Amino acid sequence: MILQIIVDMVGLGATYALLTIGIALLFGILGLMNFAYGEIIMIGAFAMYLFKDYPWFVGVLAAVVFAVVVSVLTERLAFRPLRNADPVTLMIASFAVSLALQSVMRMTVLPRTQGVPPQPFLTESITVFGIRVTVLQIVTLVLCGVLLGGLALLMKKTPLGVQLRASAENFQVAKSLGVKGSFVIMSAFAIAGVMAAASGVILVARQGAVSAEMGLTPLLIGIVGAVVGGMSNLKGAALGGLLLGMGTGLLEATLPTDLIAFRDAFLYSAVMVVLVIRPQGLLSGTKVRTS
Amino acid sequence: MTNSTRIRRLFETPILLVALMGLVALIAVFGDPTITRVTVQALIAVVFVAGLSLFSGNSGVMSFGHVGFMAIGAYTTAYLTIPVNLKSSMFSDLPESLGFLATIHAPFPIAVLVGGLAAAVLALVTAPIMARLGGLQAGIATLALLVIVFTVLNSWTDVTRGSSSMIGLPKSTTIWWAAGIAALVIVIAWAYKKSRSGLQLQASREDYLAATASGIAVGRHRVFAWVLSSIPVGFAGALYAGFFTTFNSQTFFLSLTFSFIVMIVLGGYLSLSGAVIGALGVSVLQEILRRFQDGAFTGGISLPAGIADLILAAVLLFVLVKAPLGLMGTRELRLFRKRSIGSAS
Repeated sequence: MILQIIVDMVGLGATYALLTIGIALLFGILGLMNFAYGEIIMIGAFAMYLFKDYPWFVGVLAAVVFAVVVSVLTERLAFRPLRNADPVTLMIASFAVSLALQSVMRMTVLPRTQGVPPQPFLTESITVFGIRVTVLQIVTLVLCGVLLGGLALLMKKTPLGVQLRASAENFQVAKSLGVKGSFVIMSAFAIAGVMAAASGVILVARQGAVSAEMGLTPLLIGIVGAVVGGMSNLKGAALGGLLLGMGTGLLEATLPTDLIAFRDAFLYSAVMVVLVIRPQGLLSGTKVRTS
Repeated sequence: MTNSTRIRRLFETPILLVALMGLVALIAVFGDPTITRVTVQALIAVVFVAGLSLFSGNSGVMSFGHVGFMAIGAYTTAYLTIPVNLKSSMFSDLPESLGFLATIHAPFPIAVLVGGLAAAVLALVTAPIMARLGGLQAGIATLALLVIVFTVLNSWTDVTRGSSSMIGLPKSTTIWWAAGIAALVIVIAWAYKKSRSGLQLQASREDYLAATASGIAVGRHRVFAWVLSSIPVGFAGALYAGFFTTFNSQTFFLSLTFSFIVMIVLGGYLSLSGAVIGALGVSVLQEILRRFQDGAFTGGISLPAGIADLILAAVLLFVLVKAPLGLMGTRELRLFRKRSIGSAS
């Protein structure tokens, strides 16, 4: 029983960590709290719906392409003209981008919720030592592990990663030392797009449906995770997401049933407390930029 | 500056804005019912945005959570004004301790007042948090507040009916109520802006460190502005409830927040006149866009739902890029533009 809860908690935690990373990456480099991130996830999920009659890897590939293209487009069209704006202005702008993307999808291809039947093999479950694990959970864990590991390698070992980290540290100085600002920011948006696509794929498999509004919940989770973990620090953010997911799983398993509906209220109260006590995040050693 | 100019400069803007409210109300009185509806909606928006500007304009801290206060005002009005016999069937599962909600009744003016005070109670509870946060952290915290209020309203179905609608409110918000409260809130917001506390808060907005170094207790003034601004916003919720007579938990969430943000950013959140003009302008714009979406200008062919939101989002982005401080910037409405250059507040 306890093991079962822990397995579910880790699965949820890995998914949340993925959500958090995409938000923290852009925040670290641009100071952008990207509310349009949920819509990028929605675009990825929509690709899965569009190609639901093809083999699954076509859908996944399309999800990545769609999400990356849209993510980079939002940067080019909306955020680039605002590059030197303060974080709150950027946040309001991302609100607008989020609403615009949602409206476009609702106007054109997604006026109502559409079902996406999950791949049959994902719903099968196997039992190890009395713990029931679905294939989807395993796939989620592997996917999250590979992506987080890949990102860590990218950030540590490649020239692009070094430039990204330098830009996150101090964008002006990095630029004056020869880092191509626009290229780095675009790559950050592209990477965030990949993360969003993966989240979208997992979300579709879990929910079996796509709608124009589906981005809100993962977005809020990502923001909370990033706030809890420390926004300018990727490792902290990933841990924050993991912790948040596990905390949510724990709350779901232990809260009395009539309080489960209020789970988010507890969660967001915790966020406010964290913001006051440790504005730089629970797990971050460095000081975050304030206002 | 002579004494009379000083007095004129102090009273010019609020008198102009209040006169504007009177003018808007007159338009509604002589217009057809549609115009009256749009006008009342616009005036309710003015009440909200002027209240929000009392906090955001002076402190420079953007709040995404004020719609939560509005929800409190609206729900309070619902409990106080829905006829008692209807309430007993609507809220049959009220918990014991809240049983009084089914029996209390009050006239609309009292409901508006209590709505504002109830919002202030929530503001007072969250005030210690707002005193300590600024910039983006404050933005996220206020958003968290909005989500908390929404979750509670949406999930506590025995008391709030959740996503099923509140019904049976008497239609109490008249154009004069809306215009009167809008004028009152404008005067309060202006008085605060020119008060000692307001000026000190504005100093902290311009330079936080310099303000604290000069001995300004920024946190205390922020708390005061936060609580004071929640009251008009609670009024706005009460007016909203009394005008639309039905709403549910989904009403007071992100999309409403977004339209208020558009109003205050478009008009200029540092200026009270900007906030008021933004609220009026965007309300009219939203109505035009709604007609456009329903096909009023395209020969009856209705356009896909969502185009109104899309255009609104595009307008907001355009303003953020081209004029981050909005149409008014830091200026206020004045009769004699020329003299006030040089020393614009």
